[in-house]
Amino acid sequence: MPYTKEERSAIWLDSFGIDYARKAKLLASHTPYALASQFLSLRGEICAAVGEERCAAMEASLRSAQYYGALERSYAEKGIACVTYFSEGYPEALRDIPDPPLVLYCRGDVSLLGRRKFSIVGSRHTSPHILRLTERYARELSKAFVIVSGIADGGDAAALSGALERGGAIAVLAYGFDFVYPECNAALLRKVEERGLAVTEYLPHEEPRGFRFPARNRILAALGEGVLVVSGGMKSGTRSTAEHAYQYGRDVFAFPYAPGVSSGAGCNALLKQYAKLVDDLVDIAAVFGINLTETEEISLTDAERAVFAAVREGEAHITEICAKSGLDALQVNPVLTMLEMKNLIVACGGNRYAALK
Amino acid sequence: MISKIMSFALCGLDGVPVEAETDINSGLPSYELVGLPDAAVKESRERVRSAIKNTGRKFPVQKITVNLAPADLRKEGAYFDLAIAIGILKASEQLAGADCGGIVFLGELSLGGALRPVAGILPLLIAAKARGFTTFVIPAANAREASYIEGVTTYAAPSLGAVLDHLTGIVPLAPVAASSYRAAQAQYRADLSFVRGQPVAKRAAEVAVSGGHNLLLVGPPGTGKTMLARCLPTIMPDMTFDEALEVTKIHSVAGVLGGEGIVAERPFRTPHHTATTVSMCGGGSHGVRPGEISLAHNGVLFLDEMPEYHRATLEALRQPLEDGCITVTRSGGAVTFPANFMLCASMNPCPCGNYGSADRVCTCTPAAIRKYRDRISGPLLDRIDIRVEVDSVRYDDLTSAAREESSAAVKARVERARAVQRERFAGTGLRVNADMGERELRQHCALSPEGDGILRLSFERLRLSARARARILKVARTIADLAESRDIRPEHVLEAVSYRQSDGDA
Repeated sequence: MPYTKEERSAIWLDSFGIDYARKAKLLASHTPYALASQFLSLRGEICAAVGEERCAAMEASLRSAQYYGALERSYAEKGIACVTYFSEGYPEALRDIPDPPLVLYCRGDVSLLGRRKFSIVGSRHTSPHILRLTERYARELSKAFVIVSGIADGGDAAALSGALERGGAIAVLAYGFDFVYPECNAALLRKVEERGLAVTEYLPHEEPRGFRFPARNRILAALGEGVLVVSGGMKSGTRSTAEHAYQYGRDVFAFPYAPGVSSGAGCNALLKQYAKLVDDLVDIAAVFGINLTETEEISLTDAERAVFAAVREGEAHITEICAKSGLDALQVNPVLTMLEMKNLIVACGGNRYAALK
Repeated sequence: MISKIMSFALCGLDGVPVEAETDINSGLPSYELVGLPDAAVKESRERVRSAIKNTGRKFPVQKITVNLAPADLRKEGAYFDLAIAIGILKASEQLAGADCGGIVFLGELSLGGALRPVAGILPLLIAAKARGFTTFVIPAANAREASYIEGVTTYAAPSLGAVLDHLTGIVPLAPVAASSYRAAQAQYRADLSFVRGQPVAKRAAEVAVSGGHNLLLVGPPGTGKTMLARCLPTIMPDMTFDEALEVTKIHSVAGVLGGEGIVAERPFRTPHHTATTVSMCGGGSHGVRPGEISLAHNGVLFLDEMPEYHRATLEALRQPLEDGCITVTRSGGAVTFPANFMLCASMNPCPCGNYGSADRVCTCTPAAIRKYRDRISGPLLDRIDIRVEVDSVRYDDLTSAAREESSAAVKARVERARAVQRERFAGTGLRVNADMGERELRQHCALSPEGDGILRLSFERLRLSARARARILKVARTIADLAESRDIRPEHVLEAVSYRQSDGDA
């Protein structure tokens, strides 16, 4: 679908890498199309906002017959679709925040932006138990929502891969499409682009930089109807996402952590303020009035039931599980493997196991 | 006059006959040694000269030429000192009446005339025996080693003087008494009963040894990974005489043989992680020597903190792990050493070591953990069938009086499982389940529909790779053998799945 003139103007304006505050100042009184079509009469104002050098570049681009065509072609070659503030497909959720991105550069299925969305975020330091739990929540919630997350290692990656198993996923990036960060999630990002959607407000050549991540978090927070924080320390970026979400009036959810677990101290801090405690999917489902009952019936043998009951008492070492279930280690080991395959428990390393339900 | 004395040179694990020809002519006094000698052989001139003088004989003041034949073989080491000394004495007619024909002389001389032990006596004597020689004169310190060769007469002499007295019949030496090999003489210091707790890891060790699988122990520092690894040789079946002889040959050539004369214990080698590829695989500029993997032949090669080893060194292990031997090629020629070892590696679960710990916090990012684990390449991990977690031992476990099973009890089960495998693979050239290829897997590892369902589920849910399938099947076969079950039952598959590589990175 060809871009409208307003969209084209927005893409043109965004291509100069002008920082958000200056862009906002210009757009406060003029539309992008007005800026482009009446450039000469507005030159003084534009020059004051963005500086002489950039202003000259903008002027030159308007005089050049090729500039815009080349820009659009280069995006098309990279498989990038642009959804601007003036586009029909622009998510309504972003329109009600004070600083909406002018253009969303997208790779993948743009229609996902129009679906119901829910954000799940977690820090890089997330225990294996919580990672598996996150995957499961993302998988279940993806029945009703498109799951939105970052692409960082740990909690974010678990949310995206869980969501991709069954439904749609949106990854919000803090850099342009010429980059992949972190490198280790390159395969996941590719999968998201193929089966879900990756979006960013940054030009393809803008590299990942520290300051872009908090700015990205506002989009992450705004897109979802709610945000689930699965892990995060006191200084984790997940807290900034939660803070944005709270300010935008979104529901904030968090997993509770035991005292002294540093990877969850941030979650507990959120729970003390405004976040809702989640220890069951129903806690989220009830808020949105959706039904997420699991259809899968899992049958257990007597031994499996005994071992599962032992694990449910809390994360335990295999010798404790043996003591509680009355079986010896050689009998318990295959049972634990079976329970793991039935997605009921998770191995936390060091021969320790935790229940997922 | 010309004299000819037999000796042997070491070539890899084999001996090659070398004849020391000595000719003494009238002329300006000189001493020439020819026949591609290396530095140690050349220096024998000085040792031989002093030894002869200090034994009370005369070093001829004439033109002496010693030729070590065949001339095109590079001679290394100090094996020929004794043969050269005898040759010179014989050629200068100081050994009138002594018959040295058919006797093989081996040994290094000290300046005072004493005979010093040399490395590699066992393979040299075995090679000499194979070529029809039956009488040997060797240094007294090598007597134990030589006593395990049957059907030969070996004289062990403490000094050149003793050799001369023996040859001239003044004080004949008594032949070395033959020792017989008893496997039970193996004396291990470690025992499985000293390892407290760790039921899963111990079981994994038992399965690994039974089926000849390589083993990876994952756990934080100080949890007894090394202790457990040290117990592996103690639960392996006793070595047969041929196996022991093979190991002894290698240790003899490397010069690491203890006073026992024969290696009855299965070797346990723990090269440090700074080990170079050459020290691991064999090589060297002075003759090709066996590396750590050959010294671990028929035993265990333990790589503590595997990710710390040089990548190239680890990669070099792949081919020997597959073939059971290593061919080292140097400018001097190629030598093949046996290297049939069980690989046991240990590593931390993450760089800080606290991943999965109950009471300590792991401070590693997922990326750091992945980077740490990626230091071991996939193809190498492919050759490790069993991975098990060794966790921190609690104080109660350490002090508990509960009786832990001894190595002997486990060994009995291992031997039964090995017997089953011997029967299964009779005539195929395979020894253990770990050796099975795709064809044998199909033949011996058929699964019941239920077992197949479990395997299928494990692939879906635990994200196993296709490569993991063969590993799981082999291990399941071994577990069934340990249970003396003809069929692989579902619980065997489940246990095998539990020893998989973690988190789908199999």
